Amino acid sequence: MAKRIIIDPVTRIEGHAKISIFMDDAGNVSDAEFHVVEFRGFEKFCEGRPFSEMAGITPRICGICPVSHLLASAKAGDAIMAVNIPPAAEKLRRLMNLGQIIQSHALSFFHLSAPDFLLGWDTPQPKRNVFGLIASNADLARAGIRLRQFGQEIIEILGGKKIHPAWAVPGGVRSPLSEEGRNRIRAWIPEAYATTKLAFDLFKKTLDSHKKEIQIFGNFPSLFMSLVDAEGNWEHHGGKLRFTDSSGSVIADQLEPQKYYEYISEAVQSTSYLKSPYYGPLGFPEGMYRVGPLARLNVASQMGTPKADAELKKFKKFGRGAVTSSFLYHYARLIEILASIERVEAYLEDPDLLSEDLRADAGINSLRGVGVSEAPRGTLFHDYTVDRDGLLKQVNLIVATGQNNLAMNRTVAQIARHYVHGNDIPEPMLNRIEHGIRCYDPCLSCSTHALGQMPLQVQLVAPDGCVIKRVTRG
Amino acid sequence: MPPVAPSTSRPLLILGYGNTLRSDDGVGPKVAEEVASLRLPDVEALAYPQLNPELAESVAGAGLVVFVDAALDASNGVELRPVKPAASSQMMAHAADPPTLLALARDLFGRVPKAFCLAIPVENVAIGEQLSLLAQRGASAAVEKVKALAAERAG
Repeated sequence: MAKRIIIDPVTRIEGHAKISIFMDDAGNVSDAEFHVVEFRGFEKFCEGRPFSEMAGITPRICGICPVSHLLASAKAGDAIMAVNIPPAAEKLRRLMNLGQIIQSHALSFFHLSAPDFLLGWDTPQPKRNVFGLIASNADLARAGIRLRQFGQEIIEILGGKKIHPAWAVPGGVRSPLSEEGRNRIRAWIPEAYATTKLAFDLFKKTLDSHKKEIQIFGNFPSLFMSLVDAEGNWEHHGGKLRFTDSSGSVIADQLEPQKYYEYISEAVQSTSYLKSPYYGPLGFPEGMYRVGPLARLNVASQMGTPKADAELKKFKKFGRGAVTSSFLYHYARLIEILASIERVEAYLEDPDLLSEDLRADAGINSLRGVGVSEAPRGTLFHDYTVDRDGLLKQVNLIVATGQNNLAMNRTVAQIARHYVHGNDIPEPMLNRIEHGIRCYDPCLSCSTHALGQMPLQVQLVAPDGCVIKRVTRG
Repeated sequence: MPPVAPSTSRPLLILGYGNTLRSDDGVGPKVAEEVASLRLPDVEALAYPQLNPELAESVAGAGLVVFVDAALDASNGVELRPVKPAASSQMMAHAADPPTLLALARDLFGRVPKAFCLAIPVENVAIGEQLSLLAQRGASAAVEKVKALAAERAG
C-alpha cells in the first residue's frame, strides 16, 4: 500500500516545517514535499502603513535575518523617494550586510549543520547537536560562536543593537561609524580569518567521506540566480541580476532588479504557505532556480577578493560548469564568509566610512519602489506600492527560502529515494533527509513572513488518506 | 580561545530578554536598559530579544548572572528564582533558555557563575509596545532589586 512519510518537526533550521514523503505500493519513494505550516501575513497587515515604517516593521519578520529585511526595505524606500543615497551611507549599509552574512553563515555552519557532517549521521540524536560538537572539539565550537559574534558586533557597532537595529532608513542611514567602532571591528579580523581557515580545513577533510552526500543531497540541474556587479562578479548588495544554468551558461544577464516581475513569477501551492517563485520565461516548474551561497558562487565570474577567489577555483572543480550539489552549500558558505571578511577588512581602510553625510531627503517621487539585496540565504526582494501620501497599498516580499522551495522539494525526494524503503524509517535516515533541507539554511519565519508556531508532525499516509505511521520530533 | 581566566572582580551581569513588540514580554529588555542607564559600578546590563549562544562568554565571565524576563506565573510579585545549568540539551541554535546558556558557558568556557531569574509578573503579551500597569510596577520593583543586589555585592 502506498504511503506517505512525514518528518515533523525538522530540527536545527530556523522556523517550523514539515516534510512529506510519498511512497508507492512497492514501498519506494514516489515523491516528496517540503511544506511550511506557518502563516504570518506581513504583506497584508502592512497595507495602510507609511512606507517609511517598513524598515522598522519588516526586520521583525525574523530574529536571524532582520538586517537583510532592514536593508532591502530601506532600498525600496530609496526608490520611492527616487534618491541616490550618499556614498558613505551606501558603504556603511554594505558593511552591515557583510556582518550579516558572516554571522548568519557562521550560525548555519557551526550550529545547524556541522553536528551532522563532523560528528557523523549515525551519532545518536541527543549528541548530534552543538553540545556534541563542543564535547568532541571545544576549540571549534568556541571559535564558531566567536565568529558569529564578530558578525553580530559589526551590526551592533553600526546599528546600535545586534538584532532589529533601526538604522538603515529610506534615504540613507541614521548614524555614522565612529573611529572607535572601526578599531573594534578591525581588532576581530585576524581571529575571524583563523576561524574560517579552521572551518575550511575541517570541512575539506570531510569531503572525501561524504562523496555519497555530494552525489545525492540535492544534486540536480537547475537555474541559479543572484546579483552580480557590472563585471559579473560576486555582489551582495547592489548590481543587477543574472541567471545561469547547470552548464554554467549565462541565460539572462544584467537584469534590472526593480523590474523583477518581468522575469520572476510566483506559484502558490495548496499544501504550504510558502510561495514558489520561478523563472517566468521557462514556466512552472521548469523555471525552478536556486539562490543563496551555492547560486551566488555559480553565477559569479569571480569573488573579487584574493583569498576567496583562490577557494572559488577549488570549489568550481566539484562541478562541470556549475556546482549542482546542494550539499556544497556548506562549502559555498565558508567561501562567502572568507570573502566577507576580506571586504570588511578593505572597507575599514576607506576614510569615507567615517563620513557624517549619511542621508538624502526627498518626498514621494515614485509610487512603486523595489529594494533588492543578497541576504545570506539568497536574493531578497521588497516591493512596495504607495499612494501619494506614502501609505502602502500593496506589499510583495520574495525571500530566499521561498525561491529555494522547489529545489528543497526535489532535494528531499532525491535523498528519500536513496534511504527510505518500506516501513523502516530509522532515525539517522530521517536526519539525512532533514539535512538536505538544512543545506539551504532555510529561514521559515521569513519565507512565510509568519508569526506563531505549530509543532511539526511526521505522518506516513496511504494514498487513501489513512495514516500508516506517525513520527514526531521535538 | 582558552577558558575564562580567574579575575578578582567579576561584574553582576543583568540579562534582560524578551520581545519588545509583544507588550509585557518586553519588560526584561526595558529593565536591562533602565539598569544600564544607572551606570552602577561593577554592573553590566544587556538587553536582548533572545538569549543567543554568543552570550555564553559574558555569562562565564560574570560574578553573578540575573536573567530578567516576563513571567505569567509570578503570583507573588517580582521573584528572584535560582537557576541551575542544564546537564546537556538540544538548543534552538539561535536562542537558548537560562539553564541552557549556563550549560554553554560551562562547556565552552569552563565556568558557570551563580545565577537567578528575576521573574516579573505580566498580564498582556499581545502585539504592542506598551507595558501594562502590572508590568510597569514589576519593572520598577525589578530595578530596585537589582540595585539592592549590586549594593550587597559592593558592600
